[in-house]
Amino acid sequence: MIVSSGGEHLAHRGLVLKQARALPLSAPVIFQVREKGLDSASLWTLCSQIAPVIDDAGSILAVNDRLDIALASGAGAVHLPESSCPADVIRKAARGLLTGQSVHSKTAALNASSAGLDYLLFGPVFHTPSKAPFGPPQGLEKLREICEKVRTPVFAVGGVTHDKALACIECGAWGVAALTPFLDAGSLPDTINRYLSYLPS
Amino acid sequence: MNLPRRLLCVITDEESDPVELARQALEGGAGMMQLRRKKASGRDLFHWALRIQELCREREALFIVNDRVDIALAMHADGVHLGQQDMPAAAARALLGPGAMIGVSVSCEEEAAKAAADGASYIGVGHIFPTYSKNKPSPPIGTAAIKPIRNAAQLPVIAIGGIDLDNSAEVIRAGASGIAVISAVSDSDDPAAAARELVRRIRQ
Repeated sequence: MIVSSGGEHLAHRGLVLKQARALPLSAPVIFQVREKGLDSASLWTLCSQIAPVIDDAGSILAVNDRLDIALASGAGAVHLPESSCPADVIRKAARGLLTGQSVHSKTAALNASSAGLDYLLFGPVFHTPSKAPFGPPQGLEKLREICEKVRTPVFAVGGVTHDKALACIECGAWGVAALTPFLDAGSLPDTINRYLSYLPS
Repeated sequence: MNLPRRLLCVITDEESDPVELARQALEGGAGMMQLRRKKASGRDLFHWALRIQELCREREALFIVNDRVDIALAMHADGVHLGQQDMPAAAARALLGPGAMIGVSVSCEEEAAKAAADGASYIGVGHIFPTYSKNKPSPPIGTAAIKPIRNAAQLPVIAIGGIDLDNSAEVIRAGASGIAVISAVSDSDDPAAAARELVRRIRQ
């Protein structure tokens, strides 16, 4: 899973579209657009623009937090932060979109799983500068515990570089998610393939 | 859904407890509450919205959510209010259906005509007077702008921006169906009394 930079309104203007256009047909991903700095009109415009591009690549566009933008732009999924509108409510209103949620504890993972969500994002598993202010990383053991407790597919996030992806899968993760490794749109297909080369097929 | 005439719409400010503000504004006779909290989480918005909607139903007032169509969709609000920086009204209409109350903020005839074509139920026209509730780089449009903008949309107008006790009646005379306020109610020591007096003035 690829998470967008969050800098679309600042330094990374235009990056999301470049990343979407670089997605290779050979390796479908979930592309999560998480751009809290954009106003709703700009977010709607951006998502409407990339939704068909991502769809053509066989991948899935997930819009962070905003079910309305996800539905109106033709995205395939909505991704809920922990502080979102309650997951069971969104799930009922989602009209068939995939619904995922970020969780940071076992309790949150169990709640999200019982709400019938399609996937969970758990982290930060490893050290990552962007999440360092929120405390130490959760570690592989906690990831393993959560993957054992819930049936919902879990993606590991937070400092998951390609060489650490296999360790997450061995803990029971369904997949991995990252932001920083994919910032260079030019090398995005290579980066995805490097991840896949470390994962069991 | 039709907009009642001589309507007072109270919009939540960024500081007060929105549920308590709504309770008092409705007690004072507000006919519409708009939940507007730009930086709040989806979870907070959803829970506030449920409680404000319940208070509105007790008083047969309308409840709408600013910007967040997802919240309105999730808790079945009466509708949404959209600014020019929000999702297009046509997209919101497609999500919420023909019965929803959809308001669009406009400040000129072009935006008004676009709002009408996009399926808006009413237009929020402003800002009429100077206002400190929101940072506005553009000058106020004045009460004389209400009629031409209303004619361009052929929709009811809720006037907004710097409206207080002294100028509220003038706005209605100038062609608005209703008024929307933030600070005139939220900044008052007695929001219920402030709302009650505004309602009295616009119904004179």
